[in-house]
Amino acid sequence: MSPEVLVFDILAVLAVISGIGVVVARNPVHSAVALVVTFVNLAGIFVMLRAEFLGVVQIIVYTGAILVLVLFVIMLVDPDDLPEFHAGRPLQRVFGLLIGLMLLGEVAAAVLTRTAVGQTGPWTADEVERAGGNVQVLGQFLYSGYVLPIQAIAVVLLVGTIGALVLARPDEAPSRQRQKVTSTISLGHPRGADGQFLEPLPLPSGATASTRVIKREDMRGGIVVTKDADAYTRQPAWQVEYGPESTRTPRQSDGSGTSGTGAAPREG
Amino acid sequence: MQELSATHFLLLSAALFITGMMGVLTRRNVLVIFMSVELMINAVNVAFVGFAWEQNSMVGQTFALFIIAVAAAESILGLGIIMALSRRMDTVDVADVTQLRD
Repeated sequence: MSPEVLVFDILAVLAVISGIGVVVARNPVHSAVALVVTFVNLAGIFVMLRAEFLGVVQIIVYTGAILVLVLFVIMLVDPDDLPEFHAGRPLQRVFGLLIGLMLLGEVAAAVLTRTAVGQTGPWTADEVERAGGNVQVLGQFLYSGYVLPIQAIAVVLLVGTIGALVLARPDEAPSRQRQKVTSTISLGHPRGADGQFLEPLPLPSGATASTRVIKREDMRGGIVVTKDADAYTRQPAWQVEYGPESTRTPRQSDGSGTSGTGAAPREG
Repeated sequence: MQELSATHFLLLSAALFITGMMGVLTRRNVLVIFMSVELMINAVNVAFVGFAWEQNSMVGQTFALFIIAVAAAESILGLGIIMALSRRMDTVDVADVTQLRD
């Protein structure tokens, strides 16, 4: 047995065992880890097959990107939602195993009796080495004869990304947009008068600054009625003490109060 | 089979593919079904690269590269669907998703 075959056997056996582990593991996280082992072993096999670039792509794309996504989704899914392992379906399991073994036998028979036909290509190991390596040859191949498929793949990936965004969007749009609409710019605000009013205007009876805090659950209906419209023109949108620069407390004189366009006023 | 030949790779590919197929057919957790599909895609890749190696051709590797790209797009969409499923129906059990049948 040549060392090549020995290395192949180790990689292949590990790949198949961890592939079976993917299928039989009860915990999906264990399945994902077994899948990582399978992919790494398959990357080794790709390198054995003089497909070094594909081996690297396998590790980057599969174990680096897809499996991380899978693990994130496993974390996001509620564990109570996970079904029991093969719950109540022993018949299906037995038949599945039988059919799988039958199919494996058939494919193995077909593979073992096959004869290689067709013309072999020019890319022997020496030829690939003369052209600069696997990556160079593959790049020449892709960007000479497969330009249109590459463009198509780009579109496919773009559409996939947009589709994933649409699918993963929450059912209810966040209420941040609507909150902006309900905020009011008051022309009667003393800030607009360039500090001439040194005393704050009095609040109308019964209204305090905190009554204008719009609760999130009130936003669902679309229209929020906080108080009558006249109150906005007569009244500061939030309560600030106006006075000489030195007497202002630091909290009221900082810049965040002037830039506040949100509906939530300052308390007190 | 003393020398490394494409037969080795084809047998490995068949074993992996059928393992993945068993997972798709017998498991009920849609996440595990998704991972089994990835396993099947990789089995096909092994067959492509094995044939390319046997035939001294680059076409098989090119195909495998495109398959990986399509599998990436497929996995994005599949995981998005799984998330939407678990959020809307509170289940990832394929036996519970019977809206089109009912």
